[in-house]
Amino acid sequence: MTTTTTAHSESPPLIPVRATGWRGGFRNLVRKEMGQWWTTRMWWVQTLLWVLLLNGITTAVMLDTGGMTGNEVLQETVQTFLLVAATAVGIGVVLTIQGAVVGEKELGTAAWVMSKPASRASFVLAKLIAHSVGFLVTAVIVPSIVFLVEARYLVSAPIDYGSFGIGVAVVGLSVVFYVILTIALGTMFKGRGPIAGIAVGFILAGQFFKGMLPLPLVMATPWLLGDVATSFAIGTQPDFNRSTPIIATVIGSVVLAGLALWRFEREEF
Amino acid sequence: MKTKVVQDQASALGSSRTVPEPVISAVGLSKTFGQVEALTEIDFTVPRNSIVGFLGPNGAGKTTAIKLLLGLSRPTGGKATLFGLDSERDSLAIRARVGYLAQDPRFYTHLTARETLRFTARFFYQGPKRAIDHRVEETLALVGLEDKADRPTKGFSGGERQRLGIAQAQINYPDLLILDEPAAALDPVGRRDVLDVMERLRAHTTIFYSTHILDDVQRVSDYVTILDHGRLVTSAPTETLLDGDAATYEITFKGNAPAVLAAVRAHPWVSETSTHSVNGATTVTVSVSDERAAEADLLRSVMALDEVVVTAFGRRQYNLEEVFLQLVKGHGE
Repeated sequence: MTTTTTAHSESPPLIPVRATGWRGGFRNLVRKEMGQWWTTRMWWVQTLLWVLLLNGITTAVMLDTGGMTGNEVLQETVQTFLLVAATAVGIGVVLTIQGAVVGEKELGTAAWVMSKPASRASFVLAKLIAHSVGFLVTAVIVPSIVFLVEARYLVSAPIDYGSFGIGVAVVGLSVVFYVILTIALGTMFKGRGPIAGIAVGFILAGQFFKGMLPLPLVMATPWLLGDVATSFAIGTQPDFNRSTPIIATVIGSVVLAGLALWRFEREEF
Repeated sequence: MKTKVVQDQASALGSSRTVPEPVISAVGLSKTFGQVEALTEIDFTVPRNSIVGFLGPNGAGKTTAIKLLLGLSRPTGGKATLFGLDSERDSLAIRARVGYLAQDPRFYTHLTARETLRFTARFFYQGPKRAIDHRVEETLALVGLEDKADRPTKGFSGGERQRLGIAQAQINYPDLLILDEPAAALDPVGRRDVLDVMERLRAHTTIFYSTHILDDVQRVSDYVTILDHGRLVTSAPTETLLDGDAATYEITFKGNAPAVLAAVRAHPWVSETSTHSVNGATTVTVSVSDERAAEADLLRSVMALDEVVVTAFGRRQYNLEEVFLQLVKGHGE
């Protein structure tokens, strides 16, 4: 409809949405998905969970110095924080949003939304954006700020904020990858089981097998992002090119997002 | 409004009526799930500003057909157009003009009824907020949910969800309302309200709805489309269906039944008669081959008899349930 509709003599006229193509319904869906994060208890539950888990572990490391120097304690805690974050948040992402797409397909809300002038791309992209932002803020940024505050008071060595920030950004990339992976799997399967199994299995496989598999293969996965993040944050140089896992993860994320869009475009409700 | 005159669905039944360009037109529409044929080459049209009842037993393919029209599913054969737009290629443009109520409407449980309607409205309108809120209030009032507007839909009963579903389906002043079992979860009062809403909206929109409640269809529908086992049984004006295939008249009278029967059977165009008596009144059902002659002479010939008092005369109106069962049974055989 392209005409303006008068809703009521005292009410200003309704202005029709102009977005067409893949942008159909995009703003509305992003707003709805964001609302699910920020207008429900989800944001504080997630924040509390990650602060307790990530900062709880690192606080224990900070307090139990065991004769280490301040600099050693700082390196130890930064490494623990970033490595645990890269893995644990990934698992948390999968467990939290495994039903983001499948749940809507099962419940019928996806079909309802798709009966409105909303594109399928908007539906998928809105979820990717909202969950990425949600986890980046509650599971990466807030715990990182808490970590910095703790480190300032509990560790005698000064922290390089810039390097730490780069490390946190790399962990953030890992989190975004797992958001995309989980959403992409949600577009491909009809039940939560395969989604959680594949995604958590992939994360755990990295933990168990990354030392056994050939390095070039491992570098093409996000499994090394925790190590890359740590090396940036504490200024060490690993025995591999740090940019390779980053580029591979970015490419992997783009490919998975493309697959998710392609698959959801073919979904039948 | 510029309209193009097209052939009526009734033409298949021999009528010469014409209707405006259809809002929905399905040609050879088919859908197969693996080896299962859910819909087999169905053809039907839905005329503008009409109410069309979409009938069929469970599993007949009604919901599948509706999903194909909305682009929620893709046809494996044939095509459908809505407003002249292709249901697959132009789905987004079609959905901007359609309101849809699913068979078992589900909403985001963390949203209240008001938030759900606001969310729905924002697919169609970018603002202003005051106008959207006003429209939301209007639709809440239309379905009688004002007092539950700020409750999360999680706690809604089936009937309340249905009402909310009807509200969200027409929030955009749709040119076409597609309702899948709109009255299924409602009590008799709710059902009556839904039918009233449909009748009110008739002037502004076209309504295509599936249902099992044949009384409702008979009450409000201009046209009826019947599916069975994924195949089209019939698509025709309700009136035509209720008239039946053969012209049949009923004469109810008090008096000498054998004399009436003799007078009726004396006409050469009377092909069949049957009688039944209730409380002293007799009804003769007369099938004729010449409607014009029957309308001119049938009643006159009975009233000419001295010992007979005619209390009712008219063309026999079938009950939709009878027609439906007859058609579906005939189709099955």
